[in-house]
Amino acid sequence: MTAETMTVEIAQASAAGLKAIGAGIAVGLTGLGAGIGEMSIGAAAVGAVAENKDIFGIALLFTVLPETIVIFGLVVALLLMFQ
Amino acid sequence: MFHPESMSRLLIVASKQQLEPVITELYRMNIFHIDDYIEKGDDEWEGFRIGMPLAGADVTSAALVKIRSIASAFGISKDDINESERSSILELKRRIEQDLPAIAEEVEKLLSNRNRLESATKEYEQKIDSLRPFTDAPAPLELLQGFDTISFIAGYAKEPVNLSVPHEKWESSSKTSNLTILAVKNSDVSTAEKELLEFQFQKIQIPQESGSASQIIQEYGQRIEELKKEIAEISAQMETIKNRHEFFLMSSEEFLTGDVEQAEAPLRFATSEHAFSVTGWVPSSKVSKVFENMDKVCAGKVYVSELEVEDYNEMPPVEYHNPDFAHPTELFMDLYSRPRYTELDPSLLMAIVFPIMFGLILGDVGYGTVLLVMSLGLRSLVRGSEAGMQLIAILRNCSISSIFFGIFFAEIFGFSLPWEPFWLSRHINVGGSGAAEHGVAAAEHVSHIPQLLVLSIWIGILHITLARLWGVRNAAVMEKGHHGNLKMFANIGWIMVMWGILIAIWANFTIPLMPDLSGTPELFAGLNISTIAGIVILVLGLVFIARENALDLLEIPTIISNVLSYTRLIAVGLSSVAIAMVTNFIAIDMIINPQLANLSILGVILIIAGLVVFLFGHILNTALGLLGGGLHPLRLHYVEFFTKFYRGGGKKYSPFGMIRKLTEQN
Repeated sequence: MTAETMTVEIAQASAAGLKAIGAGIAVGLTGLGAGIGEMSIGAAAVGAVAENKDIFGIALLFTVLPETIVIFGLVVALLLMFQ
Repeated sequence: MFHPESMSRLLIVASKQQLEPVITELYRMNIFHIDDYIEKGDDEWEGFRIGMPLAGADVTSAALVKIRSIASAFGISKDDINESERSSILELKRRIEQDLPAIAEEVEKLLSNRNRLESATKEYEQKIDSLRPFTDAPAPLELLQGFDTISFIAGYAKEPVNLSVPHEKWESSSKTSNLTILAVKNSDVSTAEKELLEFQFQKIQIPQESGSASQIIQEYGQRIEELKKEIAEISAQMETIKNRHEFFLMSSEEFLTGDVEQAEAPLRFATSEHAFSVTGWVPSSKVSKVFENMDKVCAGKVYVSELEVEDYNEMPPVEYHNPDFAHPTELFMDLYSRPRYTELDPSLLMAIVFPIMFGLILGDVGYGTVLLVMSLGLRSLVRGSEAGMQLIAILRNCSISSIFFGIFFAEIFGFSLPWEPFWLSRHINVGGSGAAEHGVAAAEHVSHIPQLLVLSIWIGILHITLARLWGVRNAAVMEKGHHGNLKMFANIGWIMVMWGILIAIWANFTIPLMPDLSGTPELFAGLNISTIAGIVILVLGLVFIARENALDLLEIPTIISNVLSYTRLIAVGLSSVAIAMVTNFIAIDMIINPQLANLSILGVILIIAGLVVFLFGHILNTALGLLGGGLHPLRLHYVEFFTKFYRGGGKKYSPFGMIRKLTEQN
C-alpha cells in the first residue's frame, strides 16, 4: 500500500490497531517480568511456609511484591486504550 | 486513638510470707505484665536471686502432664467444649485426687493395648508384603530353605538369568512379576551372587514360613481383620471415656495450668532470704486497683509503688487502645510488627482506609453481597480463634464497603445497575457493538478511566504525605537532639520534593482532576512562575534530605514509583470488571441468548453449559477479587505507607493471669 492510497479511515484503523498492539505488549512484557520476579520469591515463600505456617500472610505478601510492574503495564495499557 | 494504652511501672515488695497471696491476687486480676528479673547484668540487685517455685509445683505439673497426654490421645482441646457451666474449684480438686489416677490408668491401659494391637497388625501386613511375590512359587515355602547342601536365591531380574555354576532355575510365568528362584550348591553361592549382579538382580528374602504363600496370606489377612475389630472396640471404649470425662479433663487442665503458672511465678521474681520484689507494667487506668487489692490481700504488709519511667525506650509492653471497630485491623499490625510504645499506632487509620481501598478495587454489589454472606457464614467456623474472628470482621467491613462502591459504580456481577454511575464510571465496552445490539445502551459505556487513575494517584499523594507527616511526629517524639531534628526536616524534605515535582508537572501539563497551573505568567526562558516555584520547593526538599543522609537522594525515584503504585487500586479493579463482563458476554450473549431465540434440545444443553460458564467465571472472579482486593491494599499499607514512618518492634502486653472459660474463679 502506498501513501497515496491510504485513506483517513485506513490511517485511523491502523492507529487503533497499533494502540491495541502497544497495550498488549505493555501488559505481556510486564507480565513476563513479574512472573520471573515472582518465580524465585514464590519458591522461597512456599519453602518458608512449609517450615513455619504462621508466616503465610507475610509470605503471600512477598509473593505479590513484583506485581507492581505488571500493574504499571496494565495502567499504560488502560491509558492507551481509553484515552 | 493512634496511641497505645498508657502504661505505668509498678514495684511490689513484701516479705516472703506474703508471696502466695500476692501471686494469687495478681493472677486473678490478670492485668500485671511481669518484667522478668535478670540475675546477671545491669539489672541485678545486690543480694537478690531468682526465686524458687512454690511448694507443690512439681506435683501439680505431673498431674498436668498426665491430663495433657490424655487430652492429646483423645484429640480434645478447650475450644471444642461448648458447655456454659463451670466447674467449682473444690469439686475439681477432689476429683483430680480421686478420679484422675483411675482415669489415667484406664486410658493408659487402653492406649498400650491399642498400640500393641496396631504393631501386631503392622507386623502381619509386612509379612503379607514379603509373601506376596511367592504366591505362584513352584513349591511350598518350607522346601525353599533349610537344606544342608543347597541354597535358594530369590529375586527380580531385568533379563533372563544365566549362571556359569551348576544351578536350577525357576522363572515366574506371570506377566506382572519377573520373580526368579535359583537353587545353587552352598559352595557356589558367592560366585552366583557375583554373576547375578550383572543381570541387575534384586535379591529378596525368602520368608521363613511353611505352606503355600497364598494360603498363609489368607490366614494372616483374617488375623488382621480380627485385630482391627479389637482395635475398633478399644477405640469405642476410649470414645465413651472421652465423652464422659471431656469436660472434667479440660476444666482441670485449665485449673492446673493456672496453678502451675502461679507456682512458677517466683522464677520471675527477685528474692532475698526473707523478702521478694517484682516489677511490672499495668495500664495506667488500673494502677489504683492494684494498690487497693494488694493492700487488701496482704492486710497492709506490702509495699507497692509506682516507679518513674525516665526513658520510655525501656519499652513498656504495648497494648492497643483503639475504638472497637478498629480491633480487627490490629491483626494486620501484628502481622507486620506491633507498634512501639512511643510510636503512632496506625491501626485506626488502616481500619478506615483498608476497606475503602478494597471497595475501590472490588466495587460491585453482587460480589460484595457474596462476600458479606460468606463472612457471616464463616463466623461459626472460626469460633475460638481470635485471629480468625478478626479476619472475618475485616472481610465483613470490606464487603460492606464493596457494596457501597458497587452502588457508586452501578455494578452488579459486571452488569450495570439501572442508574448512572455517580461521578465516575468504570464500565468498559466488552463485546463492542455486539453488546449494543442486545439492548445495552451505548451511553453506558462512557468510562472515565483516566480520571479514575488520577483519583487513585490523589489517594497515593495524600496517603504518602500523611505518612511523611507522621514520620515528622515520630522523629520529634522518639529521637531526641540533633539527629531527631535532622530526621524531622528530612521527612519535611520528602514532602517538599513530592509536592515540588507535582507543582512542576501541573505547571506544564493539563491533567484531569488536578490543578492546572500552565496558565501562570512566564518568568524567563520559557518557564512560568509555577514551574520555578515547584523547582525551588523541590531543591529545598533535596537539601533537607541530604542533610540527614546524602545517600537517601538515591531513593528519589521511589517517590514517583510509590505514588504510581496506587494506580493499582483502579487497574486491579478494572481487571476484575473486565473478567466479570467477559464472563457475562460469553455466557449470555454468545451461548444462552442465541439458543433462547431458537429453542431446541441441543439448545437446552448449551444453555446449561452457558450457566456453568457463568457460575464458574463469577466464582473465579470472586476468589480473584478477594485475593486482589485484600492483598493489594495490604501491600500499599506495608510497603508504600509504613516504610515512611513506622518501625514497630513493640513488646506484646501479656498480663500475668488467664481468662477462665471452664472453671470458677477461686
